[in-house]
Amino acid sequence: MAMRGPSRREFLTAAATIGAPLLMSPRAAFGSQANSRLTLGAIGCGGRGKWIADLFQKHGGYEITAAADYFQDRVDELGGKLQVPAERRFSGLQGYRRLLESGVDAVVIETPPYFHPRQAKDAVDAGKHVYLAKPAAVDVPGCRAVEESGRRATEKQKCFLVDFQTRTDPFYREAVKRAQYGDIGRIVCGEAAYFCGPTFDEQIKWLTEKPDDPEVRLRAWGLDRALSGDVITEQNIHALDVACWVLDATPLHAVGTGGRRARAVGTCWDQFSVIFTFPKDVVLTFASKQLGAGWDDICCRIYGTEGTLDTHYFGEVSIRGKLPYRGGKMASLYQDGAIANIATFHDSITRGDWSNPTVAASVRSNLTTILGRTAAWRGARVTWDEMMSANEELAADLSGLRA
Amino acid sequence: MGRRLLLPTVAVVTTLALRPYGHGAEAPAGGGAGVNSVGMRMVLVPAGTFRMGSPPGEPLRQEEESPRRVTLTRAFRIAATEVTQRQWLALMPRNHSPQRGDDLPVTSVSWPEAREFCLELSQREGATYRLPTEAEWEYACRAGGAEPPAGPAELGAVAWYADNSEGATHPVEQMKPNAWGLHDMLGNVGEWTLDLYGPYPRVEEDKDPAGPASGSTRVVRGGSWRGFPRALRCAARTGTPESYQLPHVGLRVVLEIE
Repeated sequence: MAMRGPSRREFLTAAATIGAPLLMSPRAAFGSQANSRLTLGAIGCGGRGKWIADLFQKHGGYEITAAADYFQDRVDELGGKLQVPAERRFSGLQGYRRLLESGVDAVVIETPPYFHPRQAKDAVDAGKHVYLAKPAAVDVPGCRAVEESGRRATEKQKCFLVDFQTRTDPFYREAVKRAQYGDIGRIVCGEAAYFCGPTFDEQIKWLTEKPDDPEVRLRAWGLDRALSGDVITEQNIHALDVACWVLDATPLHAVGTGGRRARAVGTCWDQFSVIFTFPKDVVLTFASKQLGAGWDDICCRIYGTEGTLDTHYFGEVSIRGKLPYRGGKMASLYQDGAIANIATFHDSITRGDWSNPTVAASVRSNLTTILGRTAAWRGARVTWDEMMSANEELAADLSGLRA
Repeated sequence: MGRRLLLPTVAVVTTLALRPYGHGAEAPAGGGAGVNSVGMRMVLVPAGTFRMGSPPGEPLRQEEESPRRVTLTRAFRIAATEVTQRQWLALMPRNHSPQRGDDLPVTSVSWPEAREFCLELSQREGATYRLPTEAEWEYACRAGGAEPPAGPAELGAVAWYADNSEGATHPVEQMKPNAWGLHDMLGNVGEWTLDLYGPYPRVEEDKDPAGPASGSTRVVRGGSWRGFPRALRCAARTGTPESYQLPHVGLRVVLEIE
C-alpha cells in the first residue's frame, strides 16, 4: 500500500475530524502535562513500524528515543531517520528487553503478531504505556495474556491501546451506534469479507529464494502461520472486528474451510470461508482471499428486520432501510485511524484515563478469528468453549535466530 | 360533540385532583404523585444539580455524552410511565402503533404528534404539559444516583430491551421502577424529548439547558425494546428526524409546576 506521510497540519486536521477526545479537552491539550513530550520506544522497525513511528513523530507529543528490531539494518534505518542514538538501538530477539530498560515512557509494538503478548506483558511489567498493533495475538493463550496485560496496565495506571482503525472512524461509529440503538430492527444475519490481492510479494520472493534460512523465515513472517496467525487473524480481523463490534457478541461456534491454492510458498492459507453462529441464531458468513486481481474490499454487512448496515474499509459506510443513514467515507481510514489512535493514546496518558477500552473488544475479535481459523484448519465445527478449553498454542520455529 | 367542548369541566376536575400535591416542590422526590384525568401518575421531581452525560472511561459510553454539571432550577412532575395507547386515544383520534393494547406504550408517533398530544392534555387539564427537556429526562432517569448498573441481570430487572423483549413492546409498569418510582425510563420504547439534537455545549456548568437553537433532529432517550445495552443508559442519546413514526419510539410527558 503506497502512501504519503501527512504533514503536521494534515495530522491535526485529521485528528480533529475524527473527534479524538484529546481535542475536546482544552486542559489536556494545552495544560502543562501535555506540553511534556512522552518518550517512546519503537519495538519493530519494519514496514509498518517505520510508517507509524513517523506518525508518532508528527503528532508532536512524542519523542522517539529508542528503537528495537530483530534485524540491525532495520533498527538503523529507523534510528538514523529519527536520530535515535546508536546506544539506544537494540537488535536480536531480546533487543526489546534492553529497550524497556532504556527509560522510555511508552512503547509502540509493531513486530510480527506472534511476539505481541510476550512483548506487551514485559512492557507492562516494566511500567510502560503500550500501543499495540493488531492482531493482539495469534492464539488463545496469547489473547488471554494480552487481556491480562490490559488489566494489569489499568491497575498500574498505564495506558494500553490496541490499534484498530475502523473503530475511530466517525461514520463507522455512528452507523454501529444506530444499529445498536435499533435502527435496523432485530439483527438476523450478516456477512463479512476481506478480499485482496497478494499482500506479501517481497516476502514471497525472499522465502522462495531461501526457504530454509531462519532469518529469512522471520523476515517473511507474513507467510508463516505461527508468526502471523494466518491471514484470517493477521489481516481479515478488520472485517471480523466490525462484525463483532456491531453484534457486540461472542460467536458460539463456527464451521469452515479454505486452503493455500494460489501461493506456492509459506504455511499461511490464501483463502478462508467460515460460517459463524452468534447468540440468538444470528449467522455470519465470512470469506476472504489474498490472491488474484481485480476485486479488493473489506466489507461487513449486517442484516436486520428493517435495515442493512453496510461498511467498506476503503469505501462508504451507510445504513439502508426504513431508517437510512447516508454515512460517508473517510479519505484515508488506514492512515487517519492510526493518527486518531496515536492522539487518543497521548490524550489518555496525559489525562490519566486508564480504562483501556480497546483491549477487551480487540481480544474478542481476535478470538473470533482464531475460532474461524481453527474450524477451517480442521474442516469441522468448533465451539467457542472447546476452543477456549483447548487453549491451543501456536508454536513458531525460532531456531537459528540469535537472542 | 366536539372534544374541546368538554375541556373546561374536565380541567376543573383535574385541577382539584392534583391540588393536594400542588406544593410538591417541598415534598421528597418521587413522592406526592397526583393522577391526572387520563390516568397518568405525575411524580414530583425536585430542582437540583446532577452530572449530565458520561465521563471518559465509563463502559459503553459514546463521545457525544461529554459530561457537565447541570442545574435544574425548577421542580416539575413527570409521568411514572410512558404514554399508553389508552391514554393516547383519550385525546388523539388515531393510534398508529403496530402492536395494539391499552396498556402498551403508544409508538409510531412523530414528534409533532407527540407535541400535539401534550397541547391537548394541557388544554384539557388547564395546565402546562410538554415533553421533557433532554436534561430533565436524564435527571429523572438517574433519580438522584449515578448511572444505574447496566449488567445483564440488573438491566433485565428494569428494562425491556433486545435481550429480553422478544421483539415487542410490553405493557408499562411491569419492570422495577427507579428510585423515584419511574418505570421504563430505560427500554420498552424510546422517548421523544423537547430538545433538538446537537453536541453538548463545551462548558463545565450549565443551568436549565434547553438544547441547541437549531438542528434537524430531535433527541430520543432511553433506548427501546430493540436496543442493545449500549442504548439502555441514562446518558445515551440519539437524534431522530421529527417526522419519523417509529415502532420503537413513544413519549412520556412532563407537567410544569406553577
